[in-house]
Amino acid sequence: MIVDMYDAVIIGAGISGAAIANALARYQLRVAVFEKASDICGGASRSNSATVHSGHDATYGSLKAHYNVLGNAMYDKLCDDLSVPFSRNGMILFATSEADKNEIVRLKQNADQNGVPGVQVLNRASLLALEGSFGEEVIGGLYAPSSGQVCPYSLVIALCEHAAENGVSFFLNTAVLRLEKQGEGYLVHTARGSVQTRFVFNCAGVYADEINNMISGNHFHITPRKGEHLILDKKLAPYVKATISQTPLDLPSGGHTKGMGIMPSVDGTIILGCNSCDVVDKEDTATSEEGISQIIRFFEENWRHLPIHSAVPSFPRHLIISAFAGLRPHPDTDDFIIGEAADAPGFYNMAGIESPGLTAAPAIAQELANAFAQQHHIPVSEAYCPTRTYKKAFRNMTAEEREQALASDPNYGHIVCRCEQVTRADVLQAIHSPVGARTVNAVKMRTRAGMGRCQGGFCCPEVVELLSKELGIPMSEVTLNGAGSEVIPYEIGSFETV
Amino acid sequence: MKKECIDIAIIGGGCAGLSAALSAKQAGAARVVVFERAPELGGVLRQCIHNGFGIHRFGEDLTGTQYARHLVDQIRETDVQCLTSTIVLDLSAERVLTVMNEDGITEYSAKAVILATGCRERPRGALAIPGTRPAGIVNAGTAQRYLNLEGYLVGKRVVILGSGDIGLIMARQFVLEGAHVIAVAERLPYSSGLMRNIVQCLDDFDIPIYYRSTVTRIVGENRVEGVYLSEVDACNCPIPATERFIECDTLLLSVGLIPENELASQAGLALLPFTGGPAVDDSFQTGLDGIFCCGNALHVHDLVDFVSIESEIAGRMAAQYTLAPTHRDCEVVHVHDGPGVRGIVPQIIRRNAAEAQVTLQFRPDTRYGACYIEVYEGENRIVRAKRAVLTPGEMVEIKIPRAKIHADITVKVTTVFT
Repeated sequence: MIVDMYDAVIIGAGISGAAIANALARYQLRVAVFEKASDICGGASRSNSATVHSGHDATYGSLKAHYNVLGNAMYDKLCDDLSVPFSRNGMILFATSEADKNEIVRLKQNADQNGVPGVQVLNRASLLALEGSFGEEVIGGLYAPSSGQVCPYSLVIALCEHAAENGVSFFLNTAVLRLEKQGEGYLVHTARGSVQTRFVFNCAGVYADEINNMISGNHFHITPRKGEHLILDKKLAPYVKATISQTPLDLPSGGHTKGMGIMPSVDGTIILGCNSCDVVDKEDTATSEEGISQIIRFFEENWRHLPIHSAVPSFPRHLIISAFAGLRPHPDTDDFIIGEAADAPGFYNMAGIESPGLTAAPAIAQELANAFAQQHHIPVSEAYCPTRTYKKAFRNMTAEEREQALASDPNYGHIVCRCEQVTRADVLQAIHSPVGARTVNAVKMRTRAGMGRCQGGFCCPEVVELLSKELGIPMSEVTLNGAGSEVIPYEIGSFETV
Repeated sequence: MKKECIDIAIIGGGCAGLSAALSAKQAGAARVVVFERAPELGGVLRQCIHNGFGIHRFGEDLTGTQYARHLVDQIRETDVQCLTSTIVLDLSAERVLTVMNEDGITEYSAKAVILATGCRERPRGALAIPGTRPAGIVNAGTAQRYLNLEGYLVGKRVVILGSGDIGLIMARQFVLEGAHVIAVAERLPYSSGLMRNIVQCLDDFDIPIYYRSTVTRIVGENRVEGVYLSEVDACNCPIPATERFIECDTLLLSVGLIPENELASQAGLALLPFTGGPAVDDSFQTGLDGIFCCGNALHVHDLVDFVSIESEIAGRMAAQYTLAPTHRDCEVVHVHDGPGVRGIVPQIIRRNAAEAQVTLQFRPDTRYGACYIEVYEGENRIVRAKRAVLTPGEMVEIKIPRAKIHADITVKVTTVFT
């Protein structure tokens, strides 16, 4: 299955793995990405607040601060090149007390030191002028205009697809079990066979410590830090413009997060969150009663401060459409762990990429790939194509574009997911794209089919049917997210009946 | 873009849409077009292979599929144009529809529009049940579709959350197909479904229903491995000490239906909190001229027969509107939910309309034994009807002579003390 020799093996296909794969694709290298899950972007990169942070709160002098600010600046071009939705909607931290205000002044100084552009401390009047009707108790705030919102999984998918188009090979369901030093390079033992490689890039998220500790004596530890979010219906989109967050001073959770915030996703839904809780199990993405209640309680109590309260007077609990939890890889060093392991030449870490990891990863990958290529004198690939082959989703097309698309492919004329206006053509593309969807959830991430109000009630049967047909497998073998998660495992007549 | 002018555009080819189309045609409407997104007409009736349909409307006990066949056969005898595999992408207040199918995108201008878009199931996300998100958490109606239209079962050890009618029907069908239905959990002290379904689908098959209970956690990485069931207290909060684990591979959700009114919203209609549909007058016309709404898009019904009956009125009224759009000028009064009443329909009554009687429908807010349904005009009671029992699972209907209505009225439920 896997060809036996690569120049570079990347372990993990989250934002870090995707970004480094995309950066290495520029060079004359044979690159493979091994992902243990049934799809790319299965971990922290999928389940977060989708915010491209400004860098106002990252500790001055840390790698987090450096790459946060660098990465943030890359986002316009990056998302433009890859046709990924991104909006620089700005972030406001609102203050309701003198203590909040002092914290905001401190954050402003920190932001200036970090080189974050345009951060301002606003009094109430300027805040109202900027964003409208904050509650009466809000006395001012911090405004970070460079903060933005991106669709994180669209970005990871685009980075991977673009890398694949430039020759990077992706292997799903391929967990790395063991690493072995061999000659100049490494032998990588996976669940699907072993391969040789000159270089290894460790982008394994919450498992990055285990991968590093297989080969390097410089051990570190990653703690899975759970963050829970709620999603609210798109009906509220007109009332949420900037990302708005509490001043992190009065965090209930002891400062592990940037504070509870309300984020307008680029798809129109509203994200609320998140809380923070260290867990043991690296697969524990279950939401909890306490966590969900904590978020609901926070927004019930603080709703009156937010501009949305003038249109929607109280927290609209009935508009919650989903809840999710993600595990952020928190390193015991409290900063990103980046670069070649001192005692393992050719083994590079991109580890502990917790928040603001989504923002920072493209910058980390670019610097790391450039330094790596220089270090090993790797020439740039002449075949490299800087733009991604991309077909616009039906739901984003103008009326004219829709008519054109439909004239060339009747599959655009059939809606599979009515809530998100996903057509059969969109689903077929997701299945046949360079790192194609193999599961219902993979189709969902690539097309949004099933992400709307009905949460897949209507479209899931049709997605199952299309996957079955296109992949040439029986309906009963189509899974939600990999082996063991078959959607309709039993054909009628499988059981003895009464 | 192609453009067409028609008399009545009916959005949705299920029971409501087809019933409205038939009566519109009978009432003399010229060009009637039904837009249905599925490849076949009939809506959710197509997957309802159980009986219990048609007793009120057709005087015989039919399966859902037979009921749909009845309607489709009748439609075929008319010149109503039914466009299947066709979706309405946009609807304007001026009754312009942007319609798409594999042949292209067409703009239809209609003299009248009937929203017959039905409803959808409330998904798990709306409940925010804590836990993982594995395979095996399925809405009852989706499971019904997999079973009756595709021929697949979603699991073999099933817990059902909620006692809506589809969940009860599926409990029975899962047992008949050889799966094990372990329990039904209902947060309320009574079922939100029909009494007959509790008896025929649960009691007759020895399936236990636990009232005042809910699922508090879902366990399982790839597939559901079990759920935690807890009793709830008077405030509907789970009581931690009562939490118990039930091993299962499927959690079926039957926790309510939500009218599907995205197009109504697009056109600018506000949706009411209890019904989830737009406000209508007793001709089923909404606040927008020439836009009518009926069936489960207007308010969720208990029986399909009543969807037919309501939609037939809407179809007739829409036809009249296309022939002489004048009746909007008449004087109207408003109907309000009083104590015990939720989501009364219609919300507006035309005082001088021709029909002698006005029919009001609503759901009671809880269960009642012997009680009165009373209609007040200010302090003045104009109608009172006695009922032996009311339950939120069943729609309540009351008729009022139009001549008795002069001003806004309020409908109440009052308990009979004996």
